[in-house]
Amino acid sequence: MMSGLAYGVAGFVLLTGLWGIVTSRDSIHLVLCLSVAQSGTYVLLLAIGYREGGTAPVFQGVPPSAPAVDPVAQALALTDIVVAAVVLALLLALAVQAHKRFGTRDPDELRALRG
Amino acid sequence: MRILPVLPIVLPLAVAAVLLAGAKIVSRVVVDAVSTATAAVVAVASAALAWQASGGTLVSWLSGWTPIGGTPVGIPLVIDTAAGALAAFAALLVCAALVYSWRYFQEVEDFFHVLMLLLLAAMVAFCLAGDLFTLFVSFELMTVAAVALTAYHTEDRGPLQGALGFGVTNLVGSFLALTGVALLYGRAGTLSLASAGAALAGQPADGLVTLAFVLVSTGFLVKAAVVPFHFWLADAHAVAPAPVSMLLSGIMVPLGLYGVARVLWVVFAEPLAADLGGVLVGAGVLTALVGAVLCPAQRHLKRLLAYSTIGHVGMLLIGLGVRSVDGLAGLGLGVVAHGLVKAALFCSVGVLLNRYGSVSEDDLHGRGRDFALLGVVWAACGLALADVPGSGLFLARARIEEAAAAAGYGWVAGVLLIVAVLTGGAVLRVAIRVFLGWGPPDAGQDPSEEAAEEEDPETTGQRRVTALVMVAPAVALAVAGLGLWLVPGVEAAAHTAAEQLHDGAGYTEAVLTGSSMVPPAVSPGEPIALSSFMLAGLSTAGAIGIAALSLCWHAAPKGLRRAVERPGLPALNTLRRLHSGHVGDHIAWLTLGTAMFGGLLAAAMR
Repeated sequence: MMSGLAYGVAGFVLLTGLWGIVTSRDSIHLVLCLSVAQSGTYVLLLAIGYREGGTAPVFQGVPPSAPAVDPVAQALALTDIVVAAVVLALLLALAVQAHKRFGTRDPDELRALRG
Repeated sequence: MRILPVLPIVLPLAVAAVLLAGAKIVSRVVVDAVSTATAAVVAVASAALAWQASGGTLVSWLSGWTPIGGTPVGIPLVIDTAAGALAAFAALLVCAALVYSWRYFQEVEDFFHVLMLLLLAAMVAFCLAGDLFTLFVSFELMTVAAVALTAYHTEDRGPLQGALGFGVTNLVGSFLALTGVALLYGRAGTLSLASAGAALAGQPADGLVTLAFVLVSTGFLVKAAVVPFHFWLADAHAVAPAPVSMLLSGIMVPLGLYGVARVLWVVFAEPLAADLGGVLVGAGVLTALVGAVLCPAQRHLKRLLAYSTIGHVGMLLIGLGVRSVDGLAGLGLGVVAHGLVKAALFCSVGVLLNRYGSVSEDDLHGRGRDFALLGVVWAACGLALADVPGSGLFLARARIEEAAAAAGYGWVAGVLLIVAVLTGGAVLRVAIRVFLGWGPPDAGQDPSEEAAEEEDPETTGQRRVTALVMVAPAVALAVAGLGLWLVPGVEAAAHTAAEQLHDGAGYTEAVLTGSSMVPPAVSPGEPIALSSFMLAGLSTAGAIGIAALSLCWHAAPKGLRRAVERPGLPALNTLRRLHSGHVGDHIAWLTLGTAMFGGLLAAAMR
């Protein structure tokens, strides 16, 4: 029951982020929406790793057979967060550069080519 | 021996880190030499791995964490011929691009070399990855390095816009891929490609497995610029520096197809055994046609080449979509032949930019008359794209045609003919206009086209002298692309690679039990049918005809012109207007395309 809700939230957050990107006219807003969409994948990973009644996967002081949530899914989420940090920094740097050089945050005003 | 499989990934990463720290102290010559040598070592090591793997798939468990009782607990690198050969080819192109950039950039930031080596490490890791998460992380690293390289010229508008669109579209693609990986992990309980395949085997695909496949392969198809996920490509390739465009078009885009092939055969081979219907072939045909039609409509040379890449990716996707060993062999040959030719062309565009300060076909009209060698390279590459009989792409196309015909898609030959005629014709037209100066100086079929923003050449002063190290890679790559067929054993190697890539069960067995099977004796491909030669002759003649026609179109009778242009131009303009360059539109198309892909697949499986 609990995890059904989590999957719903994951899908909702991903789609919300995508909707934000589709309608965005501002590069900072665009990059933040990208980050929102990515948060959906974190929720999904944690929901997949969740075990009913499980504790954190740290086995100090508890018997190794004690129920614990899946550490692999958490490791994935952690790596995902690191990757996201790199990507957001890179894209925000592009946005800042565009604003410094050309005084605009609208990506469409940078357009030199089309078709 | 244990070090060899890790070397091609670790070495460029380590050298990149050292260069980043030390580049300020050493001179540029050292940076150039070290990075080029690194790429060369990676190429040799990967080629050695591919050679060893042709006798049986190699599996290397990092830090010696071998499977316990058939359950993988470590992270494997799995090298079969296809993986090793693609890694070697990527390293070869990086090496050529680095040699080329010795003189392409008069002044270069140190991080250029660092990013090139990161991109190389990511591409190699993507080829050799044996589990879904390494696949995902290297895919992501590839995007990051490529986006940063695309935006190398942060002082111009175009690169900023192109890199932003490239980054956002590819990242959304990789979120979808990660969602698919997570779903797959939830179902199979493992990230290893081999044991995920074993876990899914023996049961028909249900909704979750299908959805996981759709999401994972959408991520890879975004990188491969398959319609309707392709909108980022032309914007990015047109603005990246020439040595970067060489890599983006030459190897990074086809690697997306490799990713799809890998998960399709290892993980989803059984659940989706016969149910893909014509979905992948259909996407390939659409991609081929969109790329081919838009290619000749461009006046900006890099954009023209970018659309030709889309056309050829469509052809390669057809080779994948027919799901046979022959199709995969054609795909492999096509990746190499197309990569060589396209890299040679991007090299030449960079030379033109350096020498004449422009990449617009109209600006360059007739100005290349004093540079016959480069003209010969362009013409040869144009003929190669038109599948002139005997060239590498001709061989690839003939094999893909045969495989498609065997799978009941014989009509695909017509689509491939259109791709060859239009892309080859466009490149030949450029060769004639720029290097011979024939035709009207301003034959813009579409006067409404926005003027291409001028790029600043990377070198200033003494522009009339073009360094040999800039032209030499173009010549060498073009010769290699044209003569690929003549290399002894290239077909047999492609067949071995395709055989191993196709044999998902053998892959699983090699990883889980460690017994690497010797691949079945390869039947050397049958001689190419006469009809393929005739088709290739037709496409070559067609390409020359298209080039000639576009040169003297202004002199055609008015009635004829009106009859063609009245329905043709609005249709073309509508198609071009869809390529708005607006990031939101890219993502809307991506979402729609993913939904359609899933819907079609679900319909095909009923």
